[in-house]
Formats: sequence, structure tokens, C-alpha cells
Amino acid sequence: MRGKWNLLIVGLFVLSLLVTGCAQQEQKPEATPTPEKKAPEEKPEKKVETMYFGAPISLTGKYSKEGQMSLWGMQVAAKWINDVYGGLKVGDKVYKVEIKYYDDQSNKEVVQSMIERLAVQDGVKFILAPYSSGLTLAAAPIAEKYGVLMNSHGGASDYIFEQGYYYVVQTLSPASKYQTGFLDMIKKVDPNAKRVAMIYKDTEFSRAVFNAAREYAEANGFEVVFDKTYPKDVQDLSPILNELKAANPDIIIGGGHFADGQLLTQQLAELKINVKAISILVAPALPKYYDALGTKAEGICAPAQWEVGVTYGPEAAKKLGMDYFGPTQDEFLVLFKEISGSDEKPSYHAAEGAAAVLSYAYAIEKAQSLDPEKVREAMNDIEFMTLYGVWKIDPETGKQIGHEMVIIQWQGGTKKIIWPEAAANADPYYPIPTWEEKDQGKLAKH
Amino acid sequence: MIVSEQLVSNLFYGALLGSVYGVATMGLSLIFGVLRIVNVGHGAFIMLGAFTAFWMFTLYSVIPILSIPIALIFGLALGFIIFFSTIKRLIDAPELSTLLATFAIGIFIEEVAKFVWGSDYVGFSWDIGTLYLGPVTVPYTKLLAFLCSAIIAGLLYVWFTKTKLGTAIRAVVEDREGAMVCGINVGRIYSVSFAIGIGLTVLSGVLVTLFVPVGINVYMGPDYTLKAFVIAVLGGLGSPWGAFVAGFLFGLFENGSYTLLGLIPGVEPFALTRFVAFVFLLIILLIKPTGLLGGE
Amino acid sequence: MNIRAYKPLIPMIAVYGVLITIALTVDGMWQPVAYFMFYIALGQAFNIFLGLTGYVDFGYVAFMGLGAYGMGLAIKNFGHLGLIALPIGIFLAVIMSMLLSLAVGAVALRLRGAYFAIATIGVNEGFRYLVEGVRLWGGTEGMILSGFMRKTYGREMTNFFSTFLSDVLVILIAFSAAVVTIAILNKKMGYALLALREDEDAAKVMGINVTKYKIMAFITSAGFAGLIGATAWTLKLTYIFPEDVFNISYTVEAIVIVMLGGAGTLLGPMFGGLIYGIMKYYLSVIFPGIQLLILAPILIAIVVVFPEGLIGYIRKKARDTRLSEYLR
Repeated sequence: MRGKWNLLIVGLFVLSLLVTGCAQQEQKPEATPTPEKKAPEEKPEKKVETMYFGAPISLTGKYSKEGQMSLWGMQVAAKWINDVYGGLKVGDKVYKVEIKYYDDQSNKEVVQSMIERLAVQDGVKFILAPYSSGLTLAAAPIAEKYGVLMNSHGGASDYIFEQGYYYVVQTLSPASKYQTGFLDMIKKVDPNAKRVAMIYKDTEFSRAVFNAAREYAEANGFEVVFDKTYPKDVQDLSPILNELKAANPDIIIGGGHFADGQLLTQQLAELKINVKAISILVAPALPKYYDALGTKAEGICAPAQWEVGVTYGPEAAKKLGMDYFGPTQDEFLVLFKEISGSDEKPSYHAAEGAAAVLSYAYAIEKAQSLDPEKVREAMNDIEFMTLYGVWKIDPETGKQIGHEMVIIQWQGGTKKIIWPEAAANADPYYPIPTWEEKDQGKLAKH
Repeated sequence: MIVSEQLVSNLFYGALLGSVYGVATMGLSLIFGVLRIVNVGHGAFIMLGAFTAFWMFTLYSVIPILSIPIALIFGLALGFIIFFSTIKRLIDAPELSTLLATFAIGIFIEEVAKFVWGSDYVGFSWDIGTLYLGPVTVPYTKLLAFLCSAIIAGLLYVWFTKTKLGTAIRAVVEDREGAMVCGINVGRIYSVSFAIGIGLTVLSGVLVTLFVPVGINVYMGPDYTLKAFVIAVLGGLGSPWGAFVAGFLFGLFENGSYTLLGLIPGVEPFALTRFVAFVFLLIILLIKPTGLLGGE
Repeated sequence: MNIRAYKPLIPMIAVYGVLITIALTVDGMWQPVAYFMFYIALGQAFNIFLGLTGYVDFGYVAFMGLGAYGMGLAIKNFGHLGLIALPIGIFLAVIMSMLLSLAVGAVALRLRGAYFAIATIGVNEGFRYLVEGVRLWGGTEGMILSGFMRKTYGREMTNFFSTFLSDVLVILIAFSAAVVTIAILNKKMGYALLALREDEDAAKVMGINVTKYKIMAFITSAGFAGLIGATAWTLKLTYIFPEDVFNISYTVEAIVIVMLGGAGTLLGPMFGGLIYGIMKYYLSVIFPGIQLLILAPILIAIVVVFPEGLIGYIRKKARDTRLSEYLR
């Protein structure tokens, strides 16, 4: 018996020696942040050097669709910077930008290793945060440890920016903004439509969206008559929709992600639940939504961070008195097609990714430095426009406050921007056709 | 009044859903019964079936009903390939190694599918009208899904009881050694049952799209895998029609309890329906440790 | 007590030593090693139940989830007391996961084979839906502790927890799970479990108190799972979402790891976790996007070639040699 304990103690002791003894060495990477290793070798070509932006991308797993889109968007932005803009000019040097990415598998354990690899082995100073709020939170402590910046293009939840991570900034509009624009629009179009039903997926993201929406609705004189969630792996929504039907709402806001958003539309149609307007998160913003649902998708609205056809461009920027940086929308679409090699139109995830890269580029040139701290400081003061919209953060928290979301509506088989009015390229179609009318081929087209 | 009306219609939808669950589980149950293998990659095959229906419809406008035999043949072929390439070598290996193998096969299928079809969420609309029946509004496609499920379960039953091969399979389920002694070629039974199990599973993917024609994507499988596991156990592993009955009950329970749970204030009834369904599973297992229709 | 029976710990300590040395000396290898250690700990803890009894618990992740919540609750409620919240969290994590395992064990361990495996899925999923349905512990919104911890313990300290302390704790957990495993293997309990794994009914007839040993293994294993959840998740990630912590894929990964190395062996989970972690990590670095496409056939090949796991295979080959003393 004693021998065993002795061995155990010896074992633990050796282990703890190893751990503590080497703990000091652990500090090393912090004390001397890895210098630009690649810098000296590439000198001959008139001082053009390569700078890497690092990105853990979800290429497999549940976020693989968004991951692929945002990667393409980033690559488009990098290509524009290198080929059209001619690289980033910092001091007397010119930097080409390349996106260094690994697949994080939509997995929180992998993300952390990837961030460290990017920050240490690859010497990346500027990281494009992983997709989703959870993964961004998982990455934040590691990023902070190595003093690298993180720019969130896919983590929408407001709480990320309430945790005191100074080095995390946001490019996309936060979750609390997703459904408020739609309510504004309804208020304007039909002041009598008061009864709102909320039906959404029970995840932290949609809860963040709809908690904000509920507050906003009540503050603006709407009456929330139905407010229920469904779990994530749902195949049949009829029980909850039956109940919703009995609440007799004027408008429905709901959804969560791709699959359930399509299912929600499909089952609203099956059960012939007719309301005056419907806004669903995420799913309708992708072109495949219309392919899947056909005319059932007519008139369905969705909040979008960006959409093909938004009016952000050099002129709009001039009107607001700010810089325009990055490709114009047409350039973006051409480059996107080239890089993705498909005819698929970019979704807003691509524009988010591009805007995150462009905001780094713009801030680096403003700061005239590659030091993350200086760049972060420069970010506090910049306000500029990309194809994605205005970019401006709250200096304290890093939360995005400049960018505005748009509302899209499927009208006659194309996505139209209907809100805000300044950005719109079509009028809202209201009230939307009933499901029976849609079955007979009626389109939500003026 | 409204509550009871909702209960009626929810039970109705639950029955429809449950029948699809049932067929989606029969393959799993069959494979377990004969080969004692829990197919962790089960859902991936359902996904393949769903994509079969989707592509047949979008490319060749083949209505999903006609995709059923196509999916079955596809599944049978796939089943044989997988059996002879992998499973055959693992029949006598420890239980765990087959778990690992089927897990890896599931991942492989998903990733190949993603490589080929991309990570899009797709769907199709095949609209053949809607039935209005009192409080119930239901599209004919769902009724068709129910009907097909019932017919397939029935056919399978007849095949198992009336044909020689079917009887042989049942004999192996009952008693492996005994069947061998009786001169049944157990090796052949293994391959055939595995192929049929996979065939049934791929086929059920088509039925799933009749029920839910949207949201089809390469990672849709695992949700079905979990449910299929639970339903298979509820019905008694190794008993395909037990699986069908259990699926039916599970659907009824899931949808039916919604109305009642909705009466409790301050909770999310939909999530609780799942909770209730799983509690129901545990209670059944406590009363009868081998499931509803499972043998000893 | 026979010290020679503990010889297999020597190769294990050697491997740990190499890993830790790499982590501390090579830049940027700390997190990857922590990632491998997470898998090793997972395998090592799961092995105590799965490997030694032969029962497959698909709902194993529920214990990790509860452990994560235990630590989360402790930080939330006792954080203001200072660092004492961490030991309280560790304690809560162990207690909560053990209590659940006791409840599950009492009910489900009467079931055999696949029925047990799947009933435990029911427990895990049922528990998750209960948390989500009655909005227990924040429901799906979970617990976000980063901001709170940074305020209470300071930025530096919280980062130290997340990027160093939690990893060290995971290493310690993995090692202690291994020590417990070999202690069990060398005791009466180990032989009883061996008999049980071979033929439960026969073991019963021989007068072995099967239920007692099963439950003991189950609870021990669950306690370690709770510890992993508390450290590798709550302390390291500083947030908890039920969707993440009750995600059944972790159970499946644990099965894969145990299986790769060899179920019921001491060294198996370590090599399994190492192989699995290294493959996953480097494949996603080298082939981003298609790494699983490559990983899956490798796994299938391994399972076909080594159906008893790597260590199981090597032990068979090394039987009656001096090497076998170091393999267990």
C-alpha cells in the first residue's frame, strides 16, 4: 500500500516540477513578441513585403456555409488591396496582404489552438475572428494574451463587447439591431398593424435578437401577442404554429438559422397562416432560399447586413463627408466571381468578411504602423465607408455603431432592398399576398 | 375549446411525423438486430436519401414518390459496398470498433457530400394541394409520406414473414448460432441485411423530404441519428416494426404533449416536449428493459 | 503493495514529460498541446468506465456539462469571495456530476449493451432540453463569465486561468485518471471488472458483486468528466452554452479515442488521444476544409488493422517480453 502512494506522490511531484519549473519559460513568447520573420528575405522587390491577416474559418461543421462565404469575401478584399490599390503603404514600405486561414471546424477547442498558431507561429498581428459569438469568445483570451487584434465579422451578439476585451472590435451590426429595422418599417407603412408574433429558434443568437426586438416593439407601441421558441433540431413546427395561428397576429418575426428558417416558411405556407408581413432571420438572405421555396418565398423579408444593390459607394461617402475605401460594389462582384469560381451571388457574410479586412487595411494606413495597439487606437477615430456601409466603432467597447442593416424582401424572384428608405431600391410590398394567392402564382411585385 | 382542438390537430401531425420517424429507424434496428452493430453514421444515409429526392426532382423533375425505388437501389448498392469493404472485417471485432467504423463512415459520407454538393441549404417545392379537415390543415404531400411509410412498413413485414430470406434473417436475429446450425449461410444474411438496412435508411430520406422538403443539407443527419437511436431502443432493438410503432408513438408524444406543456407558464414548451419524450423512453425501459417489442 | 505493477506509468510519465517540454519550449505549441491533453484527459476518464466495464455510455458528455455548470455556478455565486471560488467550483463540479451518475447508474445500469448506451443518450438529451425548457441556469443563453471574471480577478489573472491554469489542471486530471485506472486494474476491483466485461452473468454467479463495481467505476469516471468540464470548458472558455456542453459529439470522440488506443488499457487513451488530436490539428492546418475527408478513411483503416486498438495490438505482439511489463 505504501509503495503505491509513494509512487503516486513521486509521480505527481515530478509532474509538478515539470510544470512549475518550466512556467518561467512560458513567459518567453510574451516578452519578445515574434518579429516579422518573413520581412528580410523579400527585400529586393522594391520593398514590397507580405503581411498576413489570420483567420480561423469554419469550413466544416455547422457554420461551413457562412465560413466559405466570408473566406471568399476576405480574399476578394485582399486581392483588391494588392492588385487595384497597390498594397498598403506604411512608412516607406509597401505591404501586400494575404489571408492565412485554417479550418476551425466550428469547434471551440480547435479555435483556441488556431489563434495561438496564427499569433505565434505565423506571426500574425491582425486576426479576423471566427464565425459566431461563442467561438469569438473562446478566441478572445488567447488573442489578448498575445496582444493581437481581433475583428469580428460574424460574432453579432452584443455581450461579446460587454466583457471588457479591448482588442476585439466589431465590423457587423450587433444582434440587437437585427429585427428593429423591420418594426420601424411596419410602423411607417401601416401604423395599424400592432399585433406582433415572435417565433424563433432557442439559441443564444436568436434570443439576443428577439430580446432586443421585444423591448423595441413594446417601446414603439406594438403588442407582442405571441412569443415562443422552438428547439434547434426541429422537423415539425405545426404544434407551435397552431398556437400562433390562434393568437391572430398582424405580423410575424422569427427564425434563427438556415434550415429552420426554410422550415418555418414552408410550414406557415402549409398551415395557411396569413399575416400582413413576415420577417425571418438569416435564411431568406441566401439565394438558395428562393430556389428551395419557390413562390412561397414571395414577400418574405429578412434583415441583412448587406445586400447586392445597396447604395454605398464613393458618391454616398462624399455626401456624408467621409472616405470611401475598397472595391466598389461592381468591382466586388467581379472579383467575387473570379475567386469563388461560381455564379453564386455573394451573401452578406462575404461582404462582412471583406469589410473586416478593409477596415484593418484602412486603420493600418491611418496609424502608419503595424503595431496592434496603435492600429486599435487609430480605429477609435476613423469613420469611413466600404461597399458594406459605414464603419465606426464605439471607442470604449469596440462595438460597431456606424453600420446600418438593411431589410430585404423577395419580390418577383429577386431580393430587393426595401429599408431603410435611403438605401432602398424598391418599395416594400405590403401586405404580402396570402399563401392561397401565392399558390396561384401571385408575386409580391408592384 | 381551442386547447382541445389544438390537441387533436397536434396529435394528427404527430402521427404523420411519427410514421416517418418509424421508417427512418427501421434500417438502424434491422442492422442492429442482425449484426449487433449500432450504426453511428445512420443520419448520413438519411441525408443521402434526401439529396437523392432533391436532385431527381430538380434535375429530372422526378416526383419524390418515384425517387423511392431509386433511393432504395442506391442504398442497397451502397450497403453492399460498405459491407464488403469495411464491416465484413469487423463482424467479430469488439463492439467498440464497429462504433468507430460507422462513425468514420458517417463523417466520410458527409464530407464527400459536402465536397460534391457544397454546404448549401436546399429544398424543392412539390405542391399537390392541401386537405382541410376540421381543425386540421395538411398538405397532401405529408399524407403521402404517411401512406408510403405505412406501405413500406407493411411490405417489409410481409417480406420478413413470408419469404425464405426474410425468415432466415429473423432466425439470425433470434439466435445466431442456432441459425448457423440449421444451415443458414450467416455470412450471406449479414451482407443482405446490412444492405437492406442501408437501403431502407436512404429510402427514408426520401420520405423525410416528402414531409419536410426544405432545409436539406449535408449536416442534417445527426439530428435524425439521435432520434433514431432513441426510437430504436424504445421499440426494442432488432425489431424493425417495433421501431415503426415506437416512431409513431414518439411523434404522438412529441407533438401531443406540446399543447399540455403550453399551459405551464414561464417555460418553453417545445423544448420540454423533447424532455417529456426522453423521460417517456426511460420509463418504458424501466418497465421493460428491452423496449416495447424487443425479445429477451 | 507491488510496485512493479505500476511500471506502466513510466512510459506515460515519459510521454507527458516530452509533451510538456514541447509545450513550454516551442513557441506557439502550448495551446495545441493543451488541445491534445484535452483529448487525452477525455479518453483517460472515459476509459475508467467504458474500458473497464465494457458498457458504452453515449450520454457521457452530460457529466462534463454538469461539471462545467458546477464551476460556472461557483464563479458566479462565490466569485466575490476571491480565488476560493475555484476550489468550490471544482468541488461542485465533482459533486454534481457524481450525483447525476449515481441517479443514472441506479436507473440505467440495470440495462445491458446497446440499451444502456442509448438510454444514456436519453438522459443527456433530456437533461439538455430540461435546461433549455425551464430556462435553468440561463437556458440557451447560458452563462457568460468573461466580463465578470475579468472584473473580479483582473484581466491578467483571468487570462492566466484561461491560457495556462486550466490547461495545467487538465494535464493533472488526465494523469490522476490514469493513476486511478492502474490502481483499479491492480486491485480486486480490476479483476472483478475484467470478469464482468467477459461475461456478466457468469461473474454474478461466481459471487462477484457486479452492480457495486459497475457503479463505482461509473461514478469515478463521471467525477473526472465533471472535472474536465469545469476546467477545460468553463475555466478555459469562460462561457457555457448548453448546446455546446451537452453536445454528444464529445462522447463519440471519447469513444473514438479509447478505441484507437485500446479499451481497458492504461496507455491506450493516452496514445488514442494523442493520435486523434495530432491528426485533427495538423490535418486542419495542412488541408483546411478537407481534413475530415482525410481523417475518416484513416480512422477506418486503423480500426480494420487494429480492431483491439493500438496498445491492445502491441501488447499482443509483446506478450512474454520484458516490454510487456511497461504496457498495460
